[in-house]
Amino acid sequence: MSAYQIGELSKRIGMSADTLRYYEKIRLLPPVARNTSGVRVYDDQDVSRLNFIRRAQRMNFTLAEIRKLLEMREDPQNVRTDVRALMQKKLLEVEEQLEELNTLRNEMRLLINLCRGAEDGCPIIEDIDHGE
Amino acid sequence: MIKVELFAAPGCDRCAKARKELQGIIETIGDDRLAWRAVEVLDEIDYAVALGVLSTPAIAIDGELVFAALPSKKQLRRVLKERLARPSTDGHAV
Repeated sequence: MSAYQIGELSKRIGMSADTLRYYEKIRLLPPVARNTSGVRVYDDQDVSRLNFIRRAQRMNFTLAEIRKLLEMREDPQNVRTDVRALMQKKLLEVEEQLEELNTLRNEMRLLINLCRGAEDGCPIIEDIDHGE
Repeated sequence: MIKVELFAAPGCDRCAKARKELQGIIETIGDDRLAWRAVEVLDEIDYAVALGVLSTPAIAIDGELVFAALPSKKQLRRVLKERLARPSTDGHAV
């Protein structure tokens, strides 16, 4: 079994030491073991849990949702419906964001084209100036 | 009624040409069912983007982007006449 101190683990998984302490404080991580000097020592299970949290964050899950997912992770066979519902909700959010981003991209393309064709001034500034 | 919209922007020299050509063609066709307006893209940018306008001039007919760039007079006349010849939902021409 591996054992990591907070600085080493922070580098290894790309989370700051403050974040690691915070996750423990809000109980996303169970209380981390300490050595005889009182220094936190993370084991493989902690690393696995933190990797799970990081991947869930990449999927735009909030910490509250990640907490639920972590509970579900303990009993994956009996929570399939709930996990699927949670992921479908997240997928819908991502699709809405994509649609908004797509609209924004098209607006930017239009403004760039207008700016290119303008004889004087630039519609980009005008649009940002007068936008809602 | 067929709604023709010309998307234009300030400082776009081809937009003035497009406006003149569109107006001329619609007058030549002389059909009251054709209504047109110029849309200033910067005033209605959300609408322009929703229709897929990426540059000006562009022409939409009945809320559908038909010409993403300035068409020839011949193309524009043909498309407008085709629209006029389309049967309406009650089976008559538009």
